[in-house]
Amino acid sequence: MDAAIQCGEGEIARFKLSLALLLGIFAVSSGGGEGNAAPTDVPPWRVDPNPSTYVPPARTDLLIRHATILDGAGRKIVDGDILLRDRKVVAVGEGLSNPGGVREVDARGRWVTPGIIDVHSHDGTYVQPLTKIDHDAGDFGEDSEMNAADEWIESGVNVQDPAFSRALEHGVTMIQILPGSSPIFGGHSVIVRPIPANSVAGMKVPGAPMGFKMSCGENPKEEGAETKRGPTSRSGVVAFTRQALSDARDYLEQWNNYRLGRGPKPRRDLKKEALAGILAGDTRVHIHCYRADDLAIYLAMAREFNFHITAFHHAVEAYKIPQLLHASGTCALVWGDWWGFKMEALDGVRANAPLLDRAGVCVGMHSDSPEAGQRLNLEAAKAIAAGRRAGIDIPAERAIRWTTSVPAAIIGLDKKVGTLAPGFGADVVLWSGDPFSVYSKADLVLIDGGIVFDRAKPHRDPVSDFELGRPTMDHRQ
Amino acid sequence: MIGRTLLAASLVACALPAAAQTLAIVHARTWTMTADAPAEGATILIDGRTIVSVVPGGAVPPGVRTIDATGKLVTPGLVNAASQIGLVEVSSAPDTRDTSDKGPLGASFDVSRALNGNSALVSLARADGMTRGVSFPAASSSIPFAGLAAMVRLRDGADILDRAAVAEFVVIGGTSENRSRAAQWQRLREALGDARQKVAAGKGVEGDLAPLGRVLGGELPLAIMTNRESDVRQAIGLVRDFGVRAVIVGGAEAWRVASELAAAHIMVVVDSQANLPETFDRLGLRQDNAAILARAGVPIAFGMVGGKLEYNYNAGLNLREDAGLAVAAGLPYRAALEALTVNPLGAFGIAGGKLEAGAEADLVIWDGDPLELSTNALAVIVEGRESSLENRQSRLVDRYAPPVPR
Repeated sequence: MDAAIQCGEGEIARFKLSLALLLGIFAVSSGGGEGNAAPTDVPPWRVDPNPSTYVPPARTDLLIRHATILDGAGRKIVDGDILLRDRKVVAVGEGLSNPGGVREVDARGRWVTPGIIDVHSHDGTYVQPLTKIDHDAGDFGEDSEMNAADEWIESGVNVQDPAFSRALEHGVTMIQILPGSSPIFGGHSVIVRPIPANSVAGMKVPGAPMGFKMSCGENPKEEGAETKRGPTSRSGVVAFTRQALSDARDYLEQWNNYRLGRGPKPRRDLKKEALAGILAGDTRVHIHCYRADDLAIYLAMAREFNFHITAFHHAVEAYKIPQLLHASGTCALVWGDWWGFKMEALDGVRANAPLLDRAGVCVGMHSDSPEAGQRLNLEAAKAIAAGRRAGIDIPAERAIRWTTSVPAAIIGLDKKVGTLAPGFGADVVLWSGDPFSVYSKADLVLIDGGIVFDRAKPHRDPVSDFELGRPTMDHRQ
Repeated sequence: MIGRTLLAASLVACALPAAAQTLAIVHARTWTMTADAPAEGATILIDGRTIVSVVPGGAVPPGVRTIDATGKLVTPGLVNAASQIGLVEVSSAPDTRDTSDKGPLGASFDVSRALNGNSALVSLARADGMTRGVSFPAASSSIPFAGLAAMVRLRDGADILDRAAVAEFVVIGGTSENRSRAAQWQRLREALGDARQKVAAGKGVEGDLAPLGRVLGGELPLAIMTNRESDVRQAIGLVRDFGVRAVIVGGAEAWRVASELAAAHIMVVVDSQANLPETFDRLGLRQDNAAILARAGVPIAFGMVGGKLEYNYNAGLNLREDAGLAVAAGLPYRAALEALTVNPLGAFGIAGGKLEAGAEADLVIWDGDPLELSTNALAVIVEGRESSLENRQSRLVDRYAPPVPR
């Protein structure tokens, strides 16, 4: 089994361990040692204030035949079949038999992969089109203070952003929307399906683990300097972060004491409870961070406060510290070719992903852009070329992990999606050709075993309300 | 980098000292841009800066340094029709940016004196097969003028100026500063009208608007950065009324006006990576913009028109991505290569972009289809000289991942 999947599982193991520790404490409590009835409250950081109302698309069972299949877990089948039934992948192999009545698709010359997962998106918040109103007061992040830990980015998601349908048409089946990187603590992420819905709850993936955004380096310090509301240096940002984590540790201890019957119920504090969720191991931590020395400082902080950093996003210098990342089990989410646009991005190299992959570090592709987010496999293609220049050969079946099973592991859903294997959800893309080719298109996109995009259909594009009745957008209707 | 070392070993069959002024590339599948299909097994002979001949199976005179390009593809050097390469180092750090000036200069602002061939962006773009490009100024306070763009040539060394003042750039569209596009068009028309009167009276156009004299004479194209259909139509009207040459840069909704643009011989520089309505001016942006325009007979080229953060930093690779995506959306392959070579040079008044006898020798040897992002440039020849493919990224990779001895 390859390193990235292992590291994903390692992370889940740690996640379970921290849950078990917490539950273990509760078990002692319910043993009645203190003589009080054990409180049954779920800690607030585990409560989703806006639960999913997602309804899977109409089910279509399919047997796709004679495709080149990249299963997302490192396997390539050249003349492969895949059977999708009852919203699940039932079988992947060669010469599968039709269990009876399942519609068959002849995919000769075409390729099949898991649905693409973009774990760094601002779709719905950095909306299209973006006007001065959004520039002055955008929904991509709360900038009134440096600690926006109490925010839930989903509260601001505009479901009519045309970016969602573009992503879907390009084979993206799952998106993590993150808050922006100006505050030090940006708040909670949300994991959605890029499908038409009237509210974000209708797009939201049920049962996804909580995710949380933090930022290091230039963005938060510049925000602090510009607004005079926060730290103006890297060290100041780190000190601010440590103080808040320290306060959250006290808050978590109050909660643990309460659960043990040793103290009063803590008063709700939306910021502290969000950070307590991180320290309790319940909330996955996504840190916007570029430079290798910054990454190292944050890994030290994670050791100090005993929490796990799920992934560094952007991580343009991750290739300089593969050993540190490998030892911590922290993943790096990288771009295909972005570099140089700010000081902390100067040392970005396109070979980042291949270098990390070779070193056994968990690495995936992310977009941070509604345009690049439609073409994450092409970002991977750029990295593949750079890897070849550096003497590292990354075959397609390995590279596809960067956009499927690795991001699935990063959002804690790698037992459900991101891999084509029996029992996994039927999030599948049928490509017109090699998914790393600039010429290939998504012919068919399935989410939970339902067809959500079919290139062969005349009125195939999901059109957002925004696009209706605008003459220059008519071709989409 | 092991790839590069191996390449040098395998490609260079007969290396002579660098003083040699002649070079041959043999067995190359070559897009000369003089025919509808690539020439198979071509021998390209170069003497100094100039191509002597491109002949399938042609003989190589003795003693000529020869690159064996068996199994490789050769194209002319790629041309970025709109970038700011050589003018910007770190876009977020204004002290490294020379794209605009807050002083009074407008139409006469000339970026050519700021060009920096030692920029880390230049060596990377060259390693990605870009050999020339239009480096354009950003909007000035003298609305709608941005100033004079330069053609750069990504030769080794600090001096990358190919030709100064290849176009007068203007920027027209919606702004967040309560400035109507009506006033932008009005100012442009008034400026051109005043200049025309002066020219008619036998007086030269002087001062900041001096370049407009050359625009009116048809010597200098007006590059109009604009996107909305109504503005593209205004541009066509302007070309008709003043008889100037124009290029539309951006043209998100240009596909709506394709036949009119073709009739007016206006080239459009498109960005086919952008397919989202990022602004109200670009609501109608679509990925097959280039394909529709080309089908109608509009010359097209590719460049940074979406203003995207990362574009200048990968001015060569993004150019290829633009072209590849346009082909995926229906643009014929050869039309895409024209958009990367002959079209942008021709529109800015420079002959070239073809591999033929007498042409300046700017060409690239590729390890695959240059429009595929998994393809690498193996050798880049600018003005007859093979450039180093070394760049900051390759040096960083060498430092942090030294090649494993084989």
